[in-house]
Amino acid sequence: MLDVLIEASSQILLDPTTLFLMAIGVTAGLLAGAIPGFTIAMGVVLTLPFTFGMTPIQGLSTMIGVFVGGLSGGLMSGMLTGIPGTPSSVATTFDGYPMAKSGRAGLALGLGVWSSFFGGIISAIVLITLAPRLAFLGLEFGPWDYFGLILFALTITVSLAGGNLTKGVIAGLLGLFAATIGEDEINGVARFTFEFDDIRQGFAFLPVLIGLFAFSQLLSDVEDKDAARAPLMKKTAGRVTVDHLGAIKLVLSHWVNLLRSSMIGIFTGILPAAGSSISNILAYDQAQKAAKNRDEFGKGAVDGIIAPESANNATAGGSLITMMALGIPGDVVTAVMIGALMIHDIVPGPSFIQDEPILAYGVIIAFFLAHFFMVILQSFTLRIFLHITRVPMYTLVAVILAYCSIGVFSLHNVSFDMWVMLGFGIIGYVLKKLDFPLAPMILGVVLGKLAEVNLARAVSISDDLTLFVTRPWSLFFVLLAVISVIFPFYQNATEGSKIAKFYVPVSVLALSAPLFLMESPFRAGVGGLLIFISVFLAIKSLRSR
Amino acid sequence: MQEARTSTIVAVVLLIFCAVMIGASYDIRDLGFDGLPATSWPRFILILLALVSAIHFIQSVIRWRKTATSSAKNKQELPTPSFQSRMSKYKNPLWCFGLFGLFLGTLDYFGMLIGGILFTFLLLSVLGGWSRRNLLMHTVLSVTSIGIMWSIFTFGLRVFLPQGEILGNW
Repeated sequence: MLDVLIEASSQILLDPTTLFLMAIGVTAGLLAGAIPGFTIAMGVVLTLPFTFGMTPIQGLSTMIGVFVGGLSGGLMSGMLTGIPGTPSSVATTFDGYPMAKSGRAGLALGLGVWSSFFGGIISAIVLITLAPRLAFLGLEFGPWDYFGLILFALTITVSLAGGNLTKGVIAGLLGLFAATIGEDEINGVARFTFEFDDIRQGFAFLPVLIGLFAFSQLLSDVEDKDAARAPLMKKTAGRVTVDHLGAIKLVLSHWVNLLRSSMIGIFTGILPAAGSSISNILAYDQAQKAAKNRDEFGKGAVDGIIAPESANNATAGGSLITMMALGIPGDVVTAVMIGALMIHDIVPGPSFIQDEPILAYGVIIAFFLAHFFMVILQSFTLRIFLHITRVPMYTLVAVILAYCSIGVFSLHNVSFDMWVMLGFGIIGYVLKKLDFPLAPMILGVVLGKLAEVNLARAVSISDDLTLFVTRPWSLFFVLLAVISVIFPFYQNATEGSKIAKFYVPVSVLALSAPLFLMESPFRAGVGGLLIFISVFLAIKSLRSR
Repeated sequence: MQEARTSTIVAVVLLIFCAVMIGASYDIRDLGFDGLPATSWPRFILILLALVSAIHFIQSVIRWRKTATSSAKNKQELPTPSFQSRMSKYKNPLWCFGLFGLFLGTLDYFGMLIGGILFTFLLLSVLGGWSRRNLLMHTVLSVTSIGIMWSIFTFGLRVFLPQGEILGNW
């Protein structure tokens, strides 16, 4: 492993082009994250066309730069203006803005930057330790298990997307259906082409993604005529100097919170589809519960900044673990990265780390390195950010729409892809207006073909459909899928109701069953532990009556 | 009430979509090989989609009835916004779609460079206003931004962007 790590490091560290591209990526990410209305995913999506001409390691390093920069960029606007740049820095605003307003803007920014840095480094360490092991676990998976995993990824996206569950399911199914259009992967038969030759190849993944995600978002940003013409931010902060030393001391002295929040972030990232927009709030909530001085939260508490910022950067490492070890996108950003890898004919999956060790470890090194770039470039981008806030949104929208079309065309040199982007842009915008979550649809498009291929493989190996629930891993994922479908009902359940009392114990108990089927003493031990936890939780909830 | 009505319409549209696509799935050729036929997976998705859409339809009708009853009791029914007022809300996005469609439609003639500049300039002016100062700013912005991007892709990334008849003949 060490030799691969050294080789991967040398490919990045000794290549000035890669380092330069990463620096540009981090700067672009910091700015994209700082501008409200822009998301990190959009930043990564827009970077993608530039990576076509790069080597896979350069392309991925640049995108990881944008990803890490974006996660940290949101804190600038959140702290200085009270408007979070991205959903991943919503909780940072709760204490960051009051601290900045009280005259300690430099310290607030420093705390955010260094919490992001340490959170990212912790998750990079976990990434390098866990991803290869999880990939080995993935090698045990058969097509039944993969199908189960995809089912789980889709159901958890639907249940975490928020809002109406039915709408989430519809969006996910629409995404799966969109992936079936064109030639069938297994038999090569045309489906739903309606005699249009252009559709025979199916819809390329990236025009669909850019249309659904970027196009629809941009149009929402200019809906209000007056807001579109006004500067991005009315409240603009003055010049601020980041207090690095004071912030490092404070962050390290609150190491328990840092570690706990980073772990929350990593775990949230590992879950398919649960991203930094959830982890930052979860970590903030836990930090508040654990704090002795809860009253200070919301007024500029140090822990209130450390928790969300360390968690959101750690989430990135978690989602990279799932992407590299299992080939399942942890969120929209990693979905785009999977698309980028596919452009270079690399398919992520359990064998990815073994087949492409330099690239896999290169991703980890890039993720690690991007955090150093982020710390260095934050002060520099802060100045650019203060200038950008004076620009009206409509100018950015018009330029980016034109840029999207050039980027999409350059994917296959086909004009049809631009029409696909427009079509899915309209669909995305309409669905957004009708309150349909877009994340399940995007994941449906990404995972649709993979689901069908694995289903076809499973059916061609054996026509016994019970294997989907009798094979341990498959059963494990099917149970997780069922648990995640019930999760929204549990969330909305009133206190004292049966579902509120027994959802967690029953779920834990159910998950122990496949572990016993795995014929491994260690896993059986974990299963036993789960039963113990389940009984403990059941007794606790019965007593609380 | 308005929301419930919209939901009902959406559910009906989805059900019609499912029916059309299930019908279209019968045009898919069956090669007669063993294993998963090409029709199975899409039909499974469509049937599931139809079922969920039916649930959505029932939910929206129930909600519609509830809101209709409560608003009848309270007599607080808000006036339904007119078609024009609804359209004015979506004026900017409609312009964006329309101009983008026009840009794509005329791509063979104008090409990516000229078409891109025209599209950006028109969109900037439609969204930002047509004052003399704005027009000057929009011209500079569209020419520089598209010019730079076109140069990066053409010379840096070696992408053959559509030249268009104008530049092609020139």
